[in-house]
Amino acid sequence: MKTKILIITALAGLICVSSCKKALDYTPKGALKSTDLTSPTAVDGLVTAAYAGIGNGDMIGPIYSNWAYGSVRSDDAYKGGGGTGDVGEIDAMEHYNLVNPSLDAFISRTWKNLFKSISRANVALRAVEAISDAQFPNKKIRIAELRFLRAHSYFIMKRLYKQVPIFDETATADQILKTSNTLSDEDAWNKIADDFQFAVDNLPTSQPELARANKYAAEAYLAKVRLYQAYEQDASYHVTNINQTRLQQVVSLTQDVIASGKYSLSADYADNFLPETENGPESVFAIQFTINDGTTDGRLNFEDGLNYPHGAPQYGCCGFHAASQNLVNAFTTDANGLPNFDTFNNSIADLSTQTVDVRIDHTVGIDGHPYKYDPTKPFSNSWVRDPGVYGNFHTMKSQQLATSSSYFKLGPFMGSAKNVDVLRYDDVLLMQAEAYIELNQPAQALPLINQVRIRAAASTGRLKKLDGTFPSNYNVQPYSATNWTQAYARKALQWERRLEFATEGERFFDLVRWGIAESTLNGYINIEKGRRSFLSTAKFTAGRDEYLPIPQSEIQFTNGLYKQNPGY
Amino acid sequence: MRRLLLFCSLLILIISEGRAQSRTIKGVVTDNESKPVPGATVVVVETRKGTTTDINGNFSINAENGQTLRITLVGETPILTQITAATQNLNIQFKGSQSALNEVIVTGYSSERKKDLTGAVAVVDLTAVKNNSSGNTMQALEGRVAGLYIEKDGSVNGATSRILIRGANTLGNNDPLYIIDGIPTTRPEVFQSLSPSNIASIQVLKDASAESIYGARASNGVIIVTTKTGGNTEGKVQFQFNSTTSTESEKSLRYKVLNAVDRGKALWQASVNDGQDPAAGYGDIYTFDWNGNYANPVLNSVTPKPFVGGDPNTPVGDTDWQSVLYKTAIATNNDFTATVGNKNSSFDINFGHITNNGLVKFTRYVRNSGSINAITRAFNGKATLGASIKIANSNETLPTKDLGGATTTALAVNLAPTIPVYQKDGTTYAGELGAGYSDRNNPLHMQDLAKWNNTNRLTTFGNIFLEIQPIKNLYIKSNYGADNANYLAKVISPTFSEGALNRTTNSLFNDQNHYLSTTWSNTIRYDFDLNKNNHFKLLAGTEYIKTFTDYLTTYKENFAIQSEDYFVFDAGTGKTNITGTSLGHTLFSQFGRLDYNYNNKYLLALTLRRDGSSRFGANNQYGIFPAASAGWRIDQEDFMKNQNLFSQLKARLGVGRVGNQEIGDLSRYTLYYARYGFTQNQLTPGFWEQYMNIGTAYSLTGANTGALPSGFVQTQLGNPDLKWETTDEINAGLDFSFLHDKISGSFDYFSRNTTGILITPPVASALGEGQSKTVNGASKSNKGWELVLTYHGQQSGDFNYNVTLNFSHFRDKITKLPEDVRPAYPGNLENTIIGHSQFDIFGYKTAGLFQSQAEVDAAPTQIGAGPGRIRYVDTNHDGKIDANDQTWIGTTLPALEYGARVDLTYKKFDLAIFGSGVAGRRGYDPYTFFNNLMHSREDVGPGVFNGWTPQHTNTNVPALTLKDNNNETTRTSDYFIVNTSYFKVRNIQFGYTIQPRAVFTRLRVFVMGENLFTLKSKQYLGPDPERASLDVVPVPKILSFGVNASF
Repeated sequence: MKTKILIITALAGLICVSSCKKALDYTPKGALKSTDLTSPTAVDGLVTAAYAGIGNGDMIGPIYSNWAYGSVRSDDAYKGGGGTGDVGEIDAMEHYNLVNPSLDAFISRTWKNLFKSISRANVALRAVEAISDAQFPNKKIRIAELRFLRAHSYFIMKRLYKQVPIFDETATADQILKTSNTLSDEDAWNKIADDFQFAVDNLPTSQPELARANKYAAEAYLAKVRLYQAYEQDASYHVTNINQTRLQQVVSLTQDVIASGKYSLSADYADNFLPETENGPESVFAIQFTINDGTTDGRLNFEDGLNYPHGAPQYGCCGFHAASQNLVNAFTTDANGLPNFDTFNNSIADLSTQTVDVRIDHTVGIDGHPYKYDPTKPFSNSWVRDPGVYGNFHTMKSQQLATSSSYFKLGPFMGSAKNVDVLRYDDVLLMQAEAYIELNQPAQALPLINQVRIRAAASTGRLKKLDGTFPSNYNVQPYSATNWTQAYARKALQWERRLEFATEGERFFDLVRWGIAESTLNGYINIEKGRRSFLSTAKFTAGRDEYLPIPQSEIQFTNGLYKQNPGY
Repeated sequence: MRRLLLFCSLLILIISEGRAQSRTIKGVVTDNESKPVPGATVVVVETRKGTTTDINGNFSINAENGQTLRITLVGETPILTQITAATQNLNIQFKGSQSALNEVIVTGYSSERKKDLTGAVAVVDLTAVKNNSSGNTMQALEGRVAGLYIEKDGSVNGATSRILIRGANTLGNNDPLYIIDGIPTTRPEVFQSLSPSNIASIQVLKDASAESIYGARASNGVIIVTTKTGGNTEGKVQFQFNSTTSTESEKSLRYKVLNAVDRGKALWQASVNDGQDPAAGYGDIYTFDWNGNYANPVLNSVTPKPFVGGDPNTPVGDTDWQSVLYKTAIATNNDFTATVGNKNSSFDINFGHITNNGLVKFTRYVRNSGSINAITRAFNGKATLGASIKIANSNETLPTKDLGGATTTALAVNLAPTIPVYQKDGTTYAGELGAGYSDRNNPLHMQDLAKWNNTNRLTTFGNIFLEIQPIKNLYIKSNYGADNANYLAKVISPTFSEGALNRTTNSLFNDQNHYLSTTWSNTIRYDFDLNKNNHFKLLAGTEYIKTFTDYLTTYKENFAIQSEDYFVFDAGTGKTNITGTSLGHTLFSQFGRLDYNYNNKYLLALTLRRDGSSRFGANNQYGIFPAASAGWRIDQEDFMKNQNLFSQLKARLGVGRVGNQEIGDLSRYTLYYARYGFTQNQLTPGFWEQYMNIGTAYSLTGANTGALPSGFVQTQLGNPDLKWETTDEINAGLDFSFLHDKISGSFDYFSRNTTGILITPPVASALGEGQSKTVNGASKSNKGWELVLTYHGQQSGDFNYNVTLNFSHFRDKITKLPEDVRPAYPGNLENTIIGHSQFDIFGYKTAGLFQSQAEVDAAPTQIGAGPGRIRYVDTNHDGKIDANDQTWIGTTLPALEYGARVDLTYKKFDLAIFGSGVAGRRGYDPYTFFNNLMHSREDVGPGVFNGWTPQHTNTNVPALTLKDNNNETTRTSDYFIVNTSYFKVRNIQFGYTIQPRAVFTRLRVFVMGENLFTLKSKQYLGPDPERASLDVVPVPKILSFGVNASF
């Protein structure tokens, strides 16, 4: 008996001691440490992740679709959806009533998402720069691509928020937190331009993987930066000077792109809005989206996911982004096939009798007209969600048919694998035209604008109804050289940009760049509110509403370092 | 077997009156201090008839001369007494000790007599919580234990939303640590799934001196649960059966919302106020007959359009969605225990079965649980071997969300009443269609579609231990335990079409994880007396804990047939997706304790624990947690000998340090992951997050499908200095009992300081992705007190009563928060959270409504202001209302919690009334939001008809608007902050003990009502201040009938 007790005691003592030796370590599973990221494969992975970053936006924090920021805030479109209260943040933008910049949607979330994308570029840049040329023969090219990606995100930020903190991959965390957003416009644009210039200097004219940025994409983007930079603004956002040197840079950069012969306008304008024809000759740089790719739901564009016709049974939600009456009117043409510059908005366009620009049926969902090139399911007023508030027009460029292989429905919303074009050749042509006009060489601009118009006129192949007729009376003609003065050319150019990129989210930024946002938008509201009474309390305040407020949370994160934009 | 049969026939058993020869034997049972012992079992051995002693230790039982009474009490040697002709009133005294003070309390690796306690330890009175309809002891404890704050909702699975011991001491996870039969777990589910009848004791360790023995995991408090092992029944099998059947209803707790016509009137008024044609926004739902004059509007009538969205199959409804979604639920709780034991071994088997068919239609909950506890001693009690296993398996179907992420419980309040439940055919669910509607779904339809969803939780919790006593009073114990949980949530999403909305692809989604935590603790204890006056107890030990969790989600689309049985992964033909990861941590600890008792007057306890955790950074892997506490039993002093006022008086003082390590397992590392195709939803689940790519894969080739090249992304920044949070606490207490124990109680005051609080603050976005890091950044202080008072009512004949009151107060404040961390919490640059709790509410102050344009013009600039609009206060006096005017306007935690319990017995009847409440709480009233303000898409309450107009200015309801340019619905403001204090009569139980007959030793039937009455402030417009959100199920009123039987 005693022996047994002793044995048990000894055993108990043994386990007491043995348990003291256990290790405390738990190593993370399925993760990498920074030291694991020095191989060429891993470094290339970081570059890939940086590309992925420019597509990592959010329905309520968009970074690649400007439907809310650039289209609803302009005269192109209304918010749509279920009444003004549905996604109130956009309603506030539409009414220029952004009194509460602390909401964690849109303004602050977009800021966050853009910096995520910038940090991916910077993380990859540090890794690429740390690896030798011998190990990584593409080093220079990848650095150039990454700087292109970083500049892309900064460009978007600059257009939205005006004052943003700009730093590069060498900045430490402490330095980043001390980087204010008070750079002058000139310095900020130049920093962005530096990245694109590096890309221009170091990228090949052609990349084996076509989604990567190449030299011409960098040139086109640099041209865009220089174009924005050319319009110099004062503190209250008045355009005080149009810098001729910058315009000259726009001309030569775009000339390079055009002369390369690598790009051309697609035969049909529709090719720009269909997944089957994406990455076509007109696409200079695009954000790639994919489906059936092994990811959770596909790497889809969900930023436009609210914008499908609500009442159409094949979609069932949510009816956002409705085309304005003003935009529809703007598509009307006169007997010469030219825009009704001064009279277009005098009355409601009668689409059964008036002639229109072909692009209306690529842009606007109209009762009885084929929607998204499907004559079997024409758009119907019954598809509209809230006609009493937002009228009967819808938009369609970013949407895809429910039968498309690129279409995916998740919950109530829709995603699409159609790429988002960041730079198209039509933009390159019109940027050059704009530069020539402001350089007072309007004659040089005429063929460029006409090239765009002629393609538009020819883009009717997908527009026929089931009965073989066209839904609208099209009449689009090129401008003639007669009376092609600088003033007229400017008007024509501005009109052409509006129609060519209608509802694509460029309009608001164009208006701000040209310095005509206040006059155009208040003029628009004054007439439009008689048609859509929800706009009755909208008012654009110059010197404030050209830019979004800096998110209040970011000002707090940096302990008041960031300067709020005036008026907020 | 025979007893089993008898058990089955329990409810139909008809028993005749007692036999003629028997007579009534009366007696009283006392402990060694001659104090009455309630609850002792008295059984006539020959007939097995039995009874239990009442609150004064009295019993009476029918027996014949020559028969033997066996009086038993847990932890005591049974006493056998033969009835003789001379037997009149029996006076039975247990030689051991069983007064409350001699009760032995498990306090962590060892036990103490209650009278020797020096820390703040609450011993939970289990008799009161034994019968509860939910089967969840945690819920039943709400309001009963001073210093234990519990919030719950009406969820069918009885989950609690918040459990705080002495308030919130940290900014992150405030969940207490549970020690169940010596095995720690942080999962409240383990405790919540224990059958109440299986629990022998619950102690709540509240202060650091008591908790410190649990070191780095104890700062949120420790709940120690010991389960029953069965006692010495002298080889006789004893059975216990408890059964409760309940009905639950939320009917009296519904919100008042507008019917179809009234909603139309409100929409008309709001539109007209906005200068908008009501027909533009809502003309597809209503016909508005009015004069069209915006200056002087007159509404003749509002008529709903006959069809929803013009669809002839969907005639307009006038639906009360709350009555559609909810039903009266039936809940049953059955629990069966068998125990047997002899001098050396005992054995306890328990089965529990709980069902609840759901207040919300198509929801349900079923739980089966079982446990086996066995203990055996050998070598004259020198070795004890024990094992226990507790298994709980539950299945639940809970309230769901609609396609757009709205909860069905919220939709039941605010979905438009013009939507009918069904289309014309009476079977097809109707939904929103056409202009003027939202994109919400029919909540009943959503629940119907979700009826195949099931969450299965299987918890296996067990331990084995061996304790040996090689020499007298030296105990060596090794305890090995495991907490194993399997979680499987199955979500079946069938296709459907309803109104304008549809789901076109069906899918099956499984979310599962496997959690296993093993604990091996080894202790050595030695008790010795130096001499008559100096008593020592020593304890030393080690503990090693290893925990891991494996996560896996699987998803598949396209199932050809939509039946529950067909939704199996093999049957799906569409897209497949799998995600998964693994996490874990280890903890190694050494600890020791010394108890010193001088002459039963002076008590001292010292503890020390050293914890090492894999969660802490390399530079700070080990933490040391000391504590000391002392007690002075004043009543034992000579100068107290001659007084009769106090029968017990003890002063306690404790100081100690405890820690908290509730951060992510991997927080200390800088990590990069290959996130091939992640959405934000996989990291921080949410509605919009489903639509956000955060992956690293990208189609560089431009291809539209197929596998993608992918990369890596940094997800967090490491911190090698990361360490545990430290809480230092001082606690002073007084235990007292006076007037011959008529009044007893205790008072505790505490002050605690937590430093180095672990936080993962969001950082300036410019730092980029994956730059957040966990730091020891903040400090909090927390002060409070607890008071418990019990009045033992004097016996007057057959009538007895006891009253127990408890009060507790705490106020926690953040005392330090680094500047870069502050944006993570409410507050702004001028008005930080320092000096406030994270449960305080930050927002705008309001000052009534603007009455005229002149007032607006004279007031500080407020965008959106106008007559009839809420006037916000310019708290910083800068002449404009903006984000910097926000300030602290309320808190969600109460200043005082209190509970009151009254127990009465009269002959065989017993009545227990329990109520509890909170006071000094100002929080959010979700109903104000719906009752006072218009919402264009949601239904609202009748309060909107009291809206401001130039003619009706004496109101606090703003002028109705659908535009909300004043941001009244989106600003947090004190307009919604009201007094949310309340008192609830939580439980009334009325029982009748049937005189034991035939096989039963005890048979009691009872009726019980829960949540019967609520007292609340008039300011609070909603029905129940405990329901802080529309997204949860209301806490229902419950009526139960039950039986407690022993045989």
